[in-house]
Amino acid sequence: MTDVAREASPGEQSRALRVPGQPDMWVLVMIEALTFSAYFVVYTVRYKMSPDVFLQSQAHLYLRFGVLNALILLASSWSIARCVDRARAGDYNAALNDAWLTIVGGVVFMLLKFHEWSVEIGNGFTFTTNEFFSFYYFLTGMHLLHVFVGFIALGVVIYQLSSPARRSQEIIETGATFWHMVDFLWVIIFALLYVMR
Amino acid sequence: MGMTTQLRLASTWLTLSAITLFAWWMAAHHGNGPLKPDPAVALGALAVTVIKVRVIIMEFMDARQAPARLRHLTDAWLALFVGAMLVAYFA
Repeated sequence: MTDVAREASPGEQSRALRVPGQPDMWVLVMIEALTFSAYFVVYTVRYKMSPDVFLQSQAHLYLRFGVLNALILLASSWSIARCVDRARAGDYNAALNDAWLTIVGGVVFMLLKFHEWSVEIGNGFTFTTNEFFSFYYFLTGMHLLHVFVGFIALGVVIYQLSSPARRSQEIIETGATFWHMVDFLWVIIFALLYVMR
Repeated sequence: MGMTTQLRLASTWLTLSAITLFAWWMAAHHGNGPLKPDPAVALGALAVTVIKVRVIIMEFMDARQAPARLRHLTDAWLALFVGAMLVAYFA
């Protein structure tokens, strides 16, 4: 318990140390993190082998789309974190609103991603243009697949919250953990594709 | 729980968003020099990224209040990721 007293703020000391959500979800998060890390390392190796192609192609991305998408996912991550805290406190109506807000953030992210892709394709940059754009569509596409799976996870959270007969805090936290992973994977993809030189 | 956690989450979100905007500003003001690998930009981007990911894991995902084992696991992944990226970039 000394660990709790040292790390938690005053109002939080009553909570014992425990893994948020189902431990299996953390196993999945670590597997996903390692898988994406492998993509990121391969990308970096290939970038160093032909930096000219990658950097000239990178100059055709719109940094503002990447930043805006990062801000949207950060806000939705914040929203689902609020949801978990409010559900824990028994404020289920507010938690439900937070969960819906999180989905709205995900939908806006998705629409912006579709828009960005259509702009890039309109500019003549497709999956087969060169290796950079193959990585670009592959990484952003794989990430968007995880956003879709995240919608299912958030749907389960909403299903749990919407009836007093359910409301499993563990399942709510499990869904939230997946959504936060979707957020931090974008943080890395953004830095890699849009910023790194 | 309650208000203190809500405030903590709000300040976490503000901090992460501010870092994102600051990094954007830095990238925009780095100039349009010759397009070649820039280790300073790469290291800066990697550092900012790792800080943001760790804050998300600790604060939003609540690993801060989980058993130390969980943090050791996520930190081990981050260390492995950074190490592998540095080797890939500089080797």
